[in-house]
Amino acid sequence: MLIEVGHFALVLALIISVVLIVIPSIGLYQNKISLAQLAKPLVWAQGFWIAVAFFVLMSAFLSNDFSVKYVADNSNTQLPLLYKASAVWGSHEGSLLLWVFVLSLWTVAVSIFSKRIPSDLINQTLIVLGAISFGFLLFLLFTSNPFERLMMSPLEGRELNPLLQDFGLAVHPPMLYMGYVGLAIPFAFVLSALIRGQLDSTWIRWTRPWALVSWSFLTIGITLGSWWAYYELGWGGWWFWDPVENASFMPWLVATALVHSLSVSEKRGAFKQWTVLLAIGGFSLSLLGTFLVRSGVLTSVHAFATDPTRGLFILIFLFVVIGGSLVLYTWRSSLLQQSNPFSLLSRETGLLINNILLVTAMLSVLLGTLYPLILDTLNLGKISVGAPYFNAVFVPIMIPGVIALAVFPYVRWKKDSLSRVFNLLRFEWICVVLLTFLSWVFITDNVFVLVAVGLFIWVVNHVLVLFIKRLRSKAKLSMSFIGMIIAHLGIAVFVLGATVTTQLGIEKDIKMNIGETQTIAGHDFVFNGVIPHSKENYSGFIGDISVFKNTKKVAQLSPEKRYYQTGMPMTEASIDPSITRDLYVALGEGLGGGAWSVRIYYKPLVRWIWLGGLMIALGALFAAIDRRYFLRVKS
Amino acid sequence: MILAWQFIIMIALSCAFFAWFLFRPINESLSGEDSNITINKQRHDELKSDINQDLIADDQYQAAESEIISTLATELRADQKESIAIKPLPWTLAIILILSILSLGIYSQLAPKMIPSENSLSEPMSMSDSIERLQSFIEENPSDFQALKMLGLAQIGIGNVNESIKAFESAYLINSKDIDLLLQFASAIAASQDGQFDGKSKVLIDEALSLDSQSIQVLYFSGIVSAHEGNLNDAIEFWEKALYLMSNDHPDRNIIEEALGTVLNLQVK
Repeated sequence: MLIEVGHFALVLALIISVVLIVIPSIGLYQNKISLAQLAKPLVWAQGFWIAVAFFVLMSAFLSNDFSVKYVADNSNTQLPLLYKASAVWGSHEGSLLLWVFVLSLWTVAVSIFSKRIPSDLINQTLIVLGAISFGFLLFLLFTSNPFERLMMSPLEGRELNPLLQDFGLAVHPPMLYMGYVGLAIPFAFVLSALIRGQLDSTWIRWTRPWALVSWSFLTIGITLGSWWAYYELGWGGWWFWDPVENASFMPWLVATALVHSLSVSEKRGAFKQWTVLLAIGGFSLSLLGTFLVRSGVLTSVHAFATDPTRGLFILIFLFVVIGGSLVLYTWRSSLLQQSNPFSLLSRETGLLINNILLVTAMLSVLLGTLYPLILDTLNLGKISVGAPYFNAVFVPIMIPGVIALAVFPYVRWKKDSLSRVFNLLRFEWICVVLLTFLSWVFITDNVFVLVAVGLFIWVVNHVLVLFIKRLRSKAKLSMSFIGMIIAHLGIAVFVLGATVTTQLGIEKDIKMNIGETQTIAGHDFVFNGVIPHSKENYSGFIGDISVFKNTKKVAQLSPEKRYYQTGMPMTEASIDPSITRDLYVALGEGLGGGAWSVRIYYKPLVRWIWLGGLMIALGALFAAIDRRYFLRVKS
Repeated sequence: MILAWQFIIMIALSCAFFAWFLFRPINESLSGEDSNITINKQRHDELKSDINQDLIADDQYQAAESEIISTLATELRADQKESIAIKPLPWTLAIILILSILSLGIYSQLAPKMIPSENSLSEPMSMSDSIERLQSFIEENPSDFQALKMLGLAQIGIGNVNESIKAFESAYLINSKDIDLLLQFASAIAASQDGQFDGKSKVLIDEALSLDSQSIQVLYFSGIVSAHEGNLNDAIEFWEKALYLMSNDHPDRNIIEEALGTVLNLQVK
């Protein structure tokens, strides 16, 4: 039967990864090119069988094959088709299969888009990627088999967690995993350079586009997750400093440092040691995130003790990967020592400051995420580290980073003078002070918002001036430059959106009777009651709320209260979106006599948060397609 | 081994694919030296472009240029090795052997011993049919732990408590460390003792507790045993620990909360 074919395909992929580790390695070390060149076909075959396994599992979901335990636990006949397909990665086993599938996609992509990369480097990189996929396939098959059969299949499956019955599940995890797993590529390039003892210009050059693409996916994944949480959880938040969110945010911070550090290593040959450490750190954090989420320790440290096999496996894998990489790094560190001096005021210094701030920010998030777990493990009590800690620690670290990103693109490589930079930026500073002052007079006296407006103007100004300068110099506009401009603008857009929505957003949690009106930020919300409503897998109520501004109707909102088969209630918010503000309504509980509790939010500039995120991702993609990465090398 | 012919086709396809590339290997794209030369040439061109755009000072240009040259010098290696030709046939045979033996060997350890037939998926069997099927399967595989455990569950499902105990007893002889079995076995014995968790039933739950003191199910049953023995404080401790360990939306939460509430009321009275 098909399920067994899927299961066997995974076993075959595991054995192919063993062959991938052994045979091309023999080829590389005995200089038998035919064997080394077998790495690519091995990767393709492994990718093919993993794809077979993945689509077999998906077909089991689509055809309601409840003889498969994983399908019976996470799907039922009433589930809409899209959610059946996305339920494949709705729980542990399937999401690990997605992890392995995405890794195989990345590996196949590396093998295909490698015509400009020396064969030795690419074959060694594919071997390292094969070793990573070996670890994960072993984990999947021996502790988390998605194809496990039930001796007696039930007639109906269980309910997929209603929170996951959403379009967000279809797009957020695959994107996030593309980013998470994508960090394995820079890691594999670095490791293969360390193994070969050739830490030359080539590996730095070819690591950067892959680091940029995976960073871009990670940004899209995190942005989509934030957007999903905003509309799905029903209380209008966009970032919760939840440990699972932090698990994806930490690799993002390190990957951000990595793409910047790589630009210095690529252009000026400096920071090589640091770049190597960041590549190892980025992938290690993505493994740590997988460990934290998949071992169950985030729910409770005792969950790890209840089912230790999975957590212990990832922990050992984490230890082998990080420990092994650091041993290799120490072994080859003499090859990384290169003296390319630069002065205190130089672009290199700016990028170093950026790196230090990003890594410090990552460490502060790591501390806040792990501290409660450490206390709990040592039986020193249960504490929860939430938004107040993260906001107090993280935000002050990042503000100098935003200021620096608008200064250092003006600074010359290697050495510059303070007077030259000051003269260049004179106009900008006047502009920033003037516009911030005008904002204070005409818009708001909120200090946080004024700081954000100042930073926004600061960055926009720098981008425009830099762009005009580049056009005037008649130099070609490289994709890399355009990418940097877009990504830096994205940061500014994000900072303004996040600050304005947090500081100036309005929230009301109120009881509303039929016909009652509530006024928020100049908008009149009229509650017209609720109507019963049911669909194939849930029933509930739809609220009817009209929104007026200056007596003109601007929106009709229909928030829902759903009750799924398990009885779990779900709130589906209704949102009137626009680029300047969101009107957000969520239905609470029925209070009798037609009255309902209703949560109404006014969210100014909230869309800018995700717009900024998408701009950062787009900038990274532009930088990844710079013409230098399409360089033709002649033998 | 089940479905062997599909697996053999999968292995054969993979081996044929690899053999093709062993007999007709992919050409090497380029060498590291060529790549480094081209990249450093490009870095040099970019440096020239940087000075035109005022991105580097004139006095620093020379230093940066010499850095590029010295980098390239250190990257070029004189010791070019000749590639050694291989005989593809032995390697192909080695791959065939590795793939066949390891994949079939590992799969035989991981695979289910019995697969539900297409009919069983479309037409659900009655409990008695299921029991008959399980019994015939156990006749062929008398040491299949999962099948025996399943038979015990099925028997108790239709009220055959004694048959259920027999099946659990056989499963227990094969694996006495399975917590789920210990709890089901204890429940079956208690069912045959008018719901009393004493004697062997209590021993089994104690065994489960010694194996995993963090399991929610074990803590729940241990609480029941303590409550039956009149040790209400112990029962409360077990259930409070279980509640602490389980998530807020755990489906069994209400059951334990109810049991805890009852015992707390008893204590008050």
